[in-house]
Amino acid sequence: MINVTTPPAANPHPRLRPSRYGIAIAVAAVVVVALIASSFLNYVYLDTIPGRASLYGLLAVALIALGTYILVRAFSRDRAMRRKHLIRASVLIGLGVLLWLLLIDVFVFTQSAGPGVAAICVLVCLPTTGFGLLVVRRMDRNEKEPWRLVLVAAAWGAIVATSLVIWGETIWEATAQTSLVPGPGLDASTAFMAGVLEELAKGSAVVLLFLVMRDDFDDVVDGIVYGAAVGLGFNFMESITYMTNLYAIFQPEGIGGYAAGFQWYARQVLGLFFGHATYTAFIGAGIGIARQLPSVRQKGFAIASGFIVAIAAHFSWDAWLTFFPIQSNVFGLVEIHLRTLIMTGPFTAAIIALLIFGVRFEGQNLLDQLRKEAADGLGAILPDEVRVLASPWQRLKQRLRALNQGGPRAYLALARLQSAQLDLAMERWHRERKEIDTPLDAEVQLRVRVIDLRSPTAR
Amino acid sequence: MRGQSIRLSAALPSVQYDQVRTLYRTILVFATVGVLVLIVGLVEFVHFEPPAQASGAQARIVGVYLFDPTTGATSGSDQGQFARTQQFAAVVDWSSLPGGITVDARWYDAFGDVVGRVGPGAPAQLAGHQVVPVVVPSGFHHSLPGSYTFVVERIQDGIPVEVLARRIVLVRRT
Repeated sequence: MINVTTPPAANPHPRLRPSRYGIAIAVAAVVVVALIASSFLNYVYLDTIPGRASLYGLLAVALIALGTYILVRAFSRDRAMRRKHLIRASVLIGLGVLLWLLLIDVFVFTQSAGPGVAAICVLVCLPTTGFGLLVVRRMDRNEKEPWRLVLVAAAWGAIVATSLVIWGETIWEATAQTSLVPGPGLDASTAFMAGVLEELAKGSAVVLLFLVMRDDFDDVVDGIVYGAAVGLGFNFMESITYMTNLYAIFQPEGIGGYAAGFQWYARQVLGLFFGHATYTAFIGAGIGIARQLPSVRQKGFAIASGFIVAIAAHFSWDAWLTFFPIQSNVFGLVEIHLRTLIMTGPFTAAIIALLIFGVRFEGQNLLDQLRKEAADGLGAILPDEVRVLASPWQRLKQRLRALNQGGPRAYLALARLQSAQLDLAMERWHRERKEIDTPLDAEVQLRVRVIDLRSPTAR
Repeated sequence: MRGQSIRLSAALPSVQYDQVRTLYRTILVFATVGVLVLIVGLVEFVHFEPPAQASGAQARIVGVYLFDPTTGATSGSDQGQFARTQQFAAVVDWSSLPGGITVDARWYDAFGDVVGRVGPGAPAQLAGHQVVPVVVPSGFHHSLPGSYTFVVERIQDGIPVEVLARRIVLVRRT
């Protein structure tokens, strides 16, 4: 029997809109204004993209128009219908913006080498980036983030963040090129530019996830996962940009393929985790730590700290790369790897240390909550299940056993049950720590869901 | 409890001591290191881009012209763009500079590499080097496309501290 007097909780969804949604709307509005300015400046100064805008823009404009229409109508509906309409509107507007930005990216970045080369570059970068996302998602051993959010984070990094920085970097570079002394000073200026602008653009994605998807943003581990996913997305688009650009530059000399291939190796193999993924993971770590801190002041310091480390790590690579010259012989191949290890390795090691600590901390507290839930005797978590639920390997073994006995359906049913049980434990943890901004009875709902999933009809 | 990633023995103290504080302090330490890195970067920037270095001197770049490496002569009109198969050079009027300063002239390609240079020396010493060509990189047939920057710089203690004149030209891909 379920005790309905259980203290309410925020998960899964608050009925009232918390104040953080207002901040999220403000951040989103700033991003949209920046994107419009970016598109305008791209059109005027970088590439006019003649004729193409009207062609591919129609679909994007139509999606945004339809999304806006549904959004306006949503507010004249009752509360239950409003939520559905808001989701539909968000999806349509999001798709429209992503389509617009993606196509601008494709034309601006890839037309130099031609669509064929650009397509090949995309195809060779997809498996490596996909592998990176798979690894990053698996790092959260206790409660994996939903693929839809990981992919949204990566898409933001690839499309929105790259679009946000184009105009800022163009103006900064043009100003520096005409006013500074070429050499290390100019390099340092460019490195400050890349560190500040690119990390702010990528970090805004993590901040929005933190504000809007609080139910799936639990702690430092989740922050690192989302941050790294945004970084991998950014790295994906940047790799394509560099590969196509350098192909176009070097192909007349007959070494375009070599130049593009080197970029692929440097960015998609060697720099897959030792680069943007590491930098933005620090932003996520800061936000994830802030998620669990009690005071606003500490939250602010934690988030600012994440941004500072990310900017510093990014800056150090861009500014001091020239101090590690690579010889054009066989030893140069060793030097390339050593350079990455020496320059980015310490930052990557630091984020791994935070991750390991976070996973342990999360695991210990989940175990504590699983035990308490089992001791309450409400039926959602049985005492015998605690040992299995507390271990990723034990959970996997149990699912594989279910697969052998009942096939894929049994496997998936058990996976859903385990996931719901861990959600419940996570919910209890946040409630116990008073990390809830709107009191709700969601914990009871989660418990009901677990019991429903446990029933034979759910299998 | 073999194979279990979550250690029971460590679980109990976690309830008593909030480990988020440890994470918070750790990221503050990392941020301190980050601030130091950025300060070093700022010092580096100021070292190579020292403030208050305006000497008042101004060099005159006569123009950027097509260049024939066999004769060492320039031809045609002053241009802002070149095909990658064309060779080009800047022409500097060193007489426009006062004596008593050390200067040089350099071409930088789009990657920031020096691809042509005259100097350093006193303006009078460089009077015979008015033409500063872009050198095709070793192993290549032509200049790489992109934006090329030509600067006449004032040198102090072996470091360029002021740009006395600047021209940017574009080398087209086609």
